[in-house]
Amino acid sequence: MSAPVLEFRDVVKRFGSVNAVDGVSFTIERGQIFTLLGPSGCGKTTTLRLVAGLEEPDGGEIFISGKSVAAPARGFYLPPEKRHLGMVFQSYAIWPHLTVFENVAFPLRVRREANEMVRQRVEHALEIVGLGGFADRGATQLSGGQQQRVALARALVYEPEILLLDEPLSNLDAKLREQMRVEIRALQKKLGLTVLYVTHDQAEAMTLSDRIAVVNRGRFEQVGTPEEVYEKPQTEFAAGFLGRMVSLLGHIRKNSDGCWFEFPGQSARSPVADTLAASFNDGVPVHLSTRPEDIDILPNGAPQPYQLVATVEQVAYLGESFEYHVRAGGVAFVLTAAKKHRYQAGETIRLALDPARLNIRAV
Amino acid sequence: MAETATTSLPRLQRFRLRPIRVAEFSFLLFLAVAMGLPLLFLLTGSFNLSAPGKPALYGLDNWIRAFTDSGTLSALWMSFLLSVVRLIPAIILSVLFAWLIARTDMPGGKFIEAICWIAYFVPDFPLVLAWILLLDPNFGFLNSVAKSLPGVDGVIFNPYGFWGIVWVHTSTGGIWFKVMLLVPVFRRLGATLEEAARVAGANTTTMLWRITLPVLAPMILAVSVLSFIRGLQSFNTELLLGTPAGIYVYSTKIYDFLQREPRAYGEATALGSVFLLVLAVLLFFYWKLLSGGKKFTVVTGQGYSTLKVKLGNWRYIAFAGCMLYVAVTMLLPLTFLVIGSFMRRYGFFNIASPFTLNHWYNMLSDPIFLVALKNSLIIATATAVGGVVLYSALAYLLVSRRTLLAPLLESLCWIPHVLPGILLSLGVLWLFLATPLRFFLYGSVWGIAVALILADSPVTTQAFKAGLLQLGADLEESARVSGASWGYTYRRVLLPLLAPIAAAVGLMNFGSALTSISTPVLLYSHQSRPLAILLLEYSFTGELERAAALGLLITVIIGVMMLVGRKLGLQLAGSE
Repeated sequence: MSAPVLEFRDVVKRFGSVNAVDGVSFTIERGQIFTLLGPSGCGKTTTLRLVAGLEEPDGGEIFISGKSVAAPARGFYLPPEKRHLGMVFQSYAIWPHLTVFENVAFPLRVRREANEMVRQRVEHALEIVGLGGFADRGATQLSGGQQQRVALARALVYEPEILLLDEPLSNLDAKLREQMRVEIRALQKKLGLTVLYVTHDQAEAMTLSDRIAVVNRGRFEQVGTPEEVYEKPQTEFAAGFLGRMVSLLGHIRKNSDGCWFEFPGQSARSPVADTLAASFNDGVPVHLSTRPEDIDILPNGAPQPYQLVATVEQVAYLGESFEYHVRAGGVAFVLTAAKKHRYQAGETIRLALDPARLNIRAV
Repeated sequence: MAETATTSLPRLQRFRLRPIRVAEFSFLLFLAVAMGLPLLFLLTGSFNLSAPGKPALYGLDNWIRAFTDSGTLSALWMSFLLSVVRLIPAIILSVLFAWLIARTDMPGGKFIEAICWIAYFVPDFPLVLAWILLLDPNFGFLNSVAKSLPGVDGVIFNPYGFWGIVWVHTSTGGIWFKVMLLVPVFRRLGATLEEAARVAGANTTTMLWRITLPVLAPMILAVSVLSFIRGLQSFNTELLLGTPAGIYVYSTKIYDFLQREPRAYGEATALGSVFLLVLAVLLFFYWKLLSGGKKFTVVTGQGYSTLKVKLGNWRYIAFAGCMLYVAVTMLLPLTFLVIGSFMRRYGFFNIASPFTLNHWYNMLSDPIFLVALKNSLIIATATAVGGVVLYSALAYLLVSRRTLLAPLLESLCWIPHVLPGILLSLGVLWLFLATPLRFFLYGSVWGIAVALILADSPVTTQAFKAGLLQLGADLEESARVSGASWGYTYRRVLLPLLAPIAAAVGLMNFGSALTSISTPVLLYSHQSRPLAILLLEYSFTGELERAAALGLLITVIIGVMMLVGRKLGLQLAGSE
């Protein structure tokens, strides 16, 4: 099997005494969209810049298609222009003194391609991003979305090893962002591109990526498919950053009848699966966490296993749905529910948890 | 910082020679030699009893002689006093102007702002001459007019003396520069702050006193302190108006020491050193003031103000007042500079055919003038080109944030901003005389150009820095990722984008090189005399008509250049 398109081995980048990238290792296979997802300042952009060669690592080694491009231990560093990459900057970085055509042609001009070749490839690249006929415009006469497309065309014009996208959609309005998201995905499939994508927007990461790395404080908290990362978050941070979490405190009860969870102020016994029960003793406090969308709201009644009696404290009308502020056994959280039934503030309800989608953790 | 980052890694990495490091260290070396050595020579030279270039003999005699000369301390005091006294009207007027332009519905605000911009560039020396033409007790036009009025007896105006200097300073750069600094500050003041005051029930006056001015006070104070420090550098006005009345400031005193025969290098240097110490103390407080932290963050650019104070009928009066000030302090003297240059004998309006072209004709055919013109053009061109090349590279280095020594480089390049021209000149003179540089730089046009390039470092570097910061690193980095080498990127991306700044800054430095007196005054020789020094000599020898012609010529050259510069988008905002 061929070498991965990109490989990080224990890469470290320091700014002063802060480790912006703190011993990161990962690989990207050809034709994948790999997303670095994390809050601002987590080191995701620095990671991208290390790939581009705009930063030099302080430790570890970086390989592109099996060839080392930065190995500080050996004092080796390949400058950005020799890495054959394409990059779209958050600001697009469209050169204001050049036309659309010359902006896109720049990478080819640098490589001293023949004029006819340049013309064909630039026109092709502009066609791909849907800007055919814009070639002679001044770069500054374009709208934000169009500039973004020019930047994309410029990055694609010479078939880069990896396409680096640094929050490319964050400066666009919501509608355009959705449209570009779909287009980038389609383009990547069509051209078989390998993409390293940086974003802090989880919706973007979920819809675009083959694999997501959740980045926090210079470290990768978790790497996996969007589904893996969302459904099976391995760390508190990963769970909290992707979507919301409802966290309940309970106790394990164990006697001859079996093993069950006991929630404060709740009567129903929620049996614990035998496989799990063995690892707990009677009276152990545990955290149960679940995604709010996995909780169903039911009218008041006798609580069954995994059902909590709760009170609606506030209701907000969101148009497409209701937002309920509920309180169950001293814990307050927010649930969104469809409009088919409306509960009133002050009403007693039941909340049904999905045992298959509960994460259980000892306190 | 860098040390801790590399200690855990193999040592090899540290020895890698990177172009950026080479550039950084060459700059550091250059700036240390060019800025640091003159200062060092100034300080050590004051203890050196022999002339520069002779074997050194150390002692305290210079200090004793300089401070037993009764004039020395009074010169320092006078510098201080003049700088403070002229600051007061300048600050009041410039705050008023800036407020009227930026925050009220006064008509023609933009126009007055443009006038301030132009007025700032009018060289001061010709203006001083013009005020002499207007106010001189013997031939001054205003005195003649006053005499013809009934009830007036004797001389009313006299420019030679303390108040003359203060007055002339209000027309030469006194308020124009501050207005340009303050207008953007007033504009940026968050409109919401004033609007909130309005909603809370404050009228215009209350809002001004309770909100606007207090919020801006730290900025106004900073501008005042900076103006005060820069005011201490003044030389031309004091030389022409103070010396005849026996009033010396420290800069004219240094000049005086060096005009004696033999040149009193020791005393001049001792006086210069004292001033350096005073300056260091002042700068320390200025720095404390600026780094005072939060107070200054209030004025943030959250949306430009749309709320303009309605002045009602007062707005025409305000406009008329501004125009009157401009007319009196700019138009009037410039007009008399023109008249003076065309008069057979200035002040004699009643003789037959009082006007003549002879002064212009004589000046333009004078070989000394032609040599000076050539010298000035060489010096100014070398200064402009050298400054642009050197400081664009330095600014790039500072902005690229790859340099470890940025703060040190930065502070070195700020030195000339506060170092008076005459002290820079004196330090450079020591540098030239005490080192082998004397063989090719002392007394040559290139030596003057070197000193002027040094003097330009803060403003030029800041202008390029501002330009580069505005461009952002992305434009450059995207070129690198696209496959372009640094050289290619510089040629195809950075250079075209920076060209307007380079042209504008180059023009500005060309202009200031053309008009600078205090920097070349200690460095020129008869072969390398530039136009500004020739102007100084004309005015010393009393050839006022010819001086007026030359002053006017320089003013016109500068004026044309600055209008071209404005077309190129020269922004002064980048210079502070």
